[in-house]
Amino acid sequence: MRLPHIGLTLRIVGVLVVLGVAVFPLYWMFVTALSGDSELFAAKARLVPDLSQFGVFIDALAEGKAATWLRNSLVIAAGTTVLSIGLGIPLGYALSRFSFRGKVLMTVVLLFTQMLPEALMVVPLFALFRRFDLLDSLGGLILVNSAFVLPIVALILKGAFDGLPREIEESARVDGARPLTVLTRINVPLIAPSLAASAVIAFFHAWNEYVFAVTFIFTPGMQPASVGIAGFIGELGTPIQTVMAVSFLFTAPAVVFYLFVQKYVVAGMTAGAVKG
Amino acid sequence: MTALEQQQLPGPRTGTRRRGSPLGSKWTPYFFLAPAALFILVFQVVPLAQEVFLSFTRTSLLNPTHSTWVGLDNYTRIFGDAEFRRTLLITLIYVVVCVVAAVGTGLAVALLLNKGFRGRGVARALVTIPWAAPGIAVALIAIWMLNPDYGIVNRFLDTVGLGVPGGAILDSPRYALPAILVTTIWQLFPFTSVVLLSALQAVPSHLTEAAMMDGAGRWSTFRAVTWQSIKPTVGLLALLMTIWSLRRFELIWLMTKGGPVGATETLVIDLYSQAFDSKQLGSAAAVGMVGVVVSLIVIAGSRFVARAAEREAG
Amino acid sequence: MRLHRVRRSMVAAAGVTCMAAALLTGCGSDDGGSEGGVTKLTFAASTLGDPGRGPLLTKWLEEFNKSQNKIQVAPAAVPYPTFGQTVLTQMGSGKGPDLIRFDMPEFESAADAGLIAPLDELVDVSKYDLIKQPDQFMVHNGQRHGIIFEASNYAMFYNADLIKKPPTTYEEFVKTAKSLTKGDTYGLAFRQTEAEEAGVWQDIFNYVYGFGGAWSDGQKLTINSPANLKGLQAFKDLYDAKVIPRGTDAATFRRMFAEGKVGMELNNGGYVTATRGQNADLNFNVAPIPFPVRKQGAILAPIVINEASPAKEAAATFIKWTLEPDNQVKLQEILGASSVATVTKRSPEQLKETPFLTVFDDLTETSLPQIVQGFEAKTPDIRKIVVQNVIAALQGTVDLKTALDRAQQQATQQVG
Repeated sequence: MRLPHIGLTLRIVGVLVVLGVAVFPLYWMFVTALSGDSELFAAKARLVPDLSQFGVFIDALAEGKAATWLRNSLVIAAGTTVLSIGLGIPLGYALSRFSFRGKVLMTVVLLFTQMLPEALMVVPLFALFRRFDLLDSLGGLILVNSAFVLPIVALILKGAFDGLPREIEESARVDGARPLTVLTRINVPLIAPSLAASAVIAFFHAWNEYVFAVTFIFTPGMQPASVGIAGFIGELGTPIQTVMAVSFLFTAPAVVFYLFVQKYVVAGMTAGAVKG
Repeated sequence: MTALEQQQLPGPRTGTRRRGSPLGSKWTPYFFLAPAALFILVFQVVPLAQEVFLSFTRTSLLNPTHSTWVGLDNYTRIFGDAEFRRTLLITLIYVVVCVVAAVGTGLAVALLLNKGFRGRGVARALVTIPWAAPGIAVALIAIWMLNPDYGIVNRFLDTVGLGVPGGAILDSPRYALPAILVTTIWQLFPFTSVVLLSALQAVPSHLTEAAMMDGAGRWSTFRAVTWQSIKPTVGLLALLMTIWSLRRFELIWLMTKGGPVGATETLVIDLYSQAFDSKQLGSAAAVGMVGVVVSLIVIAGSRFVARAAEREAG
Repeated sequence: MRLHRVRRSMVAAAGVTCMAAALLTGCGSDDGGSEGGVTKLTFAASTLGDPGRGPLLTKWLEEFNKSQNKIQVAPAAVPYPTFGQTVLTQMGSGKGPDLIRFDMPEFESAADAGLIAPLDELVDVSKYDLIKQPDQFMVHNGQRHGIIFEASNYAMFYNADLIKKPPTTYEEFVKTAKSLTKGDTYGLAFRQTEAEEAGVWQDIFNYVYGFGGAWSDGQKLTINSPANLKGLQAFKDLYDAKVIPRGTDAATFRRMFAEGKVGMELNNGGYVTATRGQNADLNFNVAPIPFPVRKQGAILAPIVINEASPAKEAAATFIKWTLEPDNQVKLQEILGASSVATVTKRSPEQLKETPFLTVFDDLTETSLPQIVQGFEAKTPDIRKIVVQNVIAALQGTVDLKTALDRAQQQATQQVG
C-alpha cells in the first residue's frame, strides 16, 4: 500500500529546495563579485562565478578601506562581547541565585529594554555621548552595543545558572569560598555552552549594528563595515563587483563563525527567551 | 548532601552569612548586579526618559539643546495625520505577515528536517545560514537581485512571463512591501525552523506512535499530540517575531527608506526619518513612544494569553 | 568578615567598570585640535568619494598639507545621499568636520540655524576676483557664510556614438530618447526614487524651470503653478514612456552611461571627470538642455567653516589657500567643467581636450541654484514634500495635478 520511498523522495526534494532558497542569495553575491563588467550588464546573466576574476577580493582588501572597515567591526564586536559578557555574568547570577528587593523590577527592565528600537534611542544617546566625548570612537560604540545586547545575554546566562544544581556551589560555600570565587571558579566553567551562545549573539549584534555606527562615527577611518558597505548604496560609481566582494567578506566570517557554534546559539537563544 | 541538609547544618564559618540568602549577605546580589544595572540605567533608562520628555517638545535636530514645551501637540498632530495612520497600518501588516510567515515557514521546514536522513546535520546547518548573514549585506544583495534591469529576480520573472511592469519592484507601491517581507522572512525562517525543530524533537515519540496506533491519521496526530506540545514554543516565537519586526530598521531603511510613497513606512522608519530627514526630534519621539506603547501592549497581551492557556491546561 | 566580603564584591564591580574605562580610553577618539603644534582639520565633501574626482581632490589637499607645517587637512568622504543628514546631525550637536563642502539646500538651513561660522572676519574676500552671479548666494543679510567651492551648470550630456545630432527642442528630445530605447539600452536616465530625494530635486528642477516654472515667486510658494505642472508633466511623460531605466539609481545608470547603455542625461559639469574616470574611451558630448526656456539648475557648492570648530583660523587659512590663483586653476581642472570661486582662464590644452567646456560657461547667466527663492532655509523640507508627491504621481497613485496641489498645501503649511 504505502510507498515510503515516494515520501522520502518528496522530502529530499523539499529539503533541496529549501537549501537552495537559503543559500542562493549569498551564492549570488559571490557570483556577482566574480563577474566581468560586460557580463553584469549583458542581456543574459552569468550563473556561475568566473574564478579568473578572483582578484576583486584581493583588490577590495588591498585598497585599504575595506580592510579598515573590517578591522573596526572586529574591534567593536570583540569589545562588545567582552563587556556584555563581563556585565552579564554577575547580573545573570544575581537574578538566578538570589532573592532580593527589586529583582522583579530588574527582570521587567531587562525584558522591556529588549523591545526598544535603536532608532528611538539614537537621539538622546547622541546627546549623552557628546557630553562624555564618546562620539566618533570605537569605544563609544562598544558601550552602546553592550547596553543593547546586555539584556538578552543576562537572560540567557540566568537561564544557564538556573539549570545548574545548587549543591556544588553550596558545598564550596561551606568550605568557605566567597560568592565571587564560587561564581568565577565553579559556576562559570559549568555554563560554557551558554557563554558561547551569548558571546556569539553579542558578537553578531555588534558586527551587524548600523544605526549607532552611522550616526556616531564621523571619521571615515573609524567606520565599521556595516556603515562602509551601506555607504555604497547610491554612492557614485563603485563597481557592483567591489560592493558585492566587500559584502561577501563582511558576511563570510559571520556565517563561518556561526556554523561552528550554531548548536549553542540556538539552544542559548531559546533558553534565554523561554526563561525570560 | 542535599541542599536541604546543608541549610540545616550551619557550618562553623557560615553562621553569620545565613541571613537573606544562603550564599552571602543580603547585599551580595546588589554587588553582582550593580555594574550591569548602572550600565542599563545610563544607556537605556535615562535616554528613554529623555525621549519621553522630547516627545512633549518641539526640538530641531539642528539645535537639539533648545526645546520648546508644546504639551500634547506632537501626539495630537500625528494622530490627526492620515499618513501616520497609514504608517500604523503598514506596521500592522508588516508585523502580522512576518510573524505568520516566519513561524509557518519555520514549522514547515522543521517538519521537513524532523525525520532522520543522511546529511541532515549538514542540511540543518546550511538552512540556518541566512540568519547569520548581516542585515546590511542582506539588504545590499536584495537590492542588487531586485535591480530592475540586471537583477536576477526580474530576469527570472521575465523569463516565466510574470515580469513586474517596468521591473522596478522596490519602486512600486504595490510590490515594495511584499519584496521587503520576502527578504525579512528569508532572514527569519532559519531561526524559527531551528527552534521549532528542537521543540519537535522533544515531542515524546511514544505519544505520536500511540496516537498512530489508535488509528489517528497524520493530521489528527499532529493536532492532538505534536501541536499541543510545541504550542508554547510557537507562542514564544510569535512574541519574539513581533518584537523583532516592530524594531526592524536597517533592512527597510536601506532597501526603500520607507518609500515609495510611504508604502513600506513602519513606525521605526517613520521615527527615524522624522528625526533625521525632517529634523523634528519632538514628533520623532512621539512616534517612538507610540511604538513603545504598542510593544508593551503586545507583551502584556502575550502574558495574558499565556496565563489563560496555563489555567486552561489546569 | 562581612566587610571583607563587601570589599571583594566592590573590587569585582570596580574591575568591570575599569575594564569598560580601559576599553574606552584604549579606543578613544582623536578629535581635531592640535598635537605637537600641528592643527588637524577635517574637510568633509561628498565629491571626495567620487570616482575620478575623489582621488584628485585628495591629492590637491595633500598639496596644501605639504605647503606648510602648521595645519593638516584630512579628507572625509561622506556619501552624497546621506551627506546632509550626517553632517547636519553632527553640527547640530556642536561637533562635526571643521570644513564642509555643502550643497545649497543644506547650506541654507545650516546657515539659518547658526551652524556656520560667518566668514567676514576670517577671510577678506575683496582680495579675490569672485564670480558675482553664484557668489551672491553666499551672503545672507550682509553676512558671508561661504565661498564657492564649485559651481556647475546643468547641460545635456549625450553619447556621441549613439546620437549624431543632439536634439534642440523638447519634441526632438523625446523622439531621440524613444528611438534609442531598445533592448538593454535606454534613451535617457534621471533619478526617480525616494531614496535619492536630493537627486530627484536636482533633476526635476531643470524641467520646472526649463518650462518656465518656478518653485516660488519670492513671496509665496508656486509649486502647483500651471508652468510647473507643464514641466513636471514632461518629466512624467518620459517616465511613462519607459525611455529611462526605471528604479535604477544614479550610481548604476551613470555606469550604464559610461558603458554606452544610456543615450542622454541632464547633468552638471562635474560629471565630465566622473564619466571619464569610469570609461576614458566613451565618446560623449554636451549641449544646452533643449527645453522651451533657457533656464536650468546649477550646483552651487560652498565651502564653509563649522561654527563649532575649535580651529576656525586654521580653517580660514585653508580657504585662503584654495583661493590663490594657482590652486583655483588646479581645482577647476580637477572639477572638470565646473567653475570655481574666482574667474579663471581655461588653458588651451584643456579646451582642446574638452571643447564643450564653453557650453557650460555660456550657461552661467541663465543658471539658478536649486533652492526655493524666499524660503532658502526651508528648502530641504519643501524638497521632501515636493519629491514625495511627484513620486506618488509617477507611481500613478494620484494624478500629477492633485499631487502638486497637495505638495503646495503641505509645503505652505510647513513654511508657516
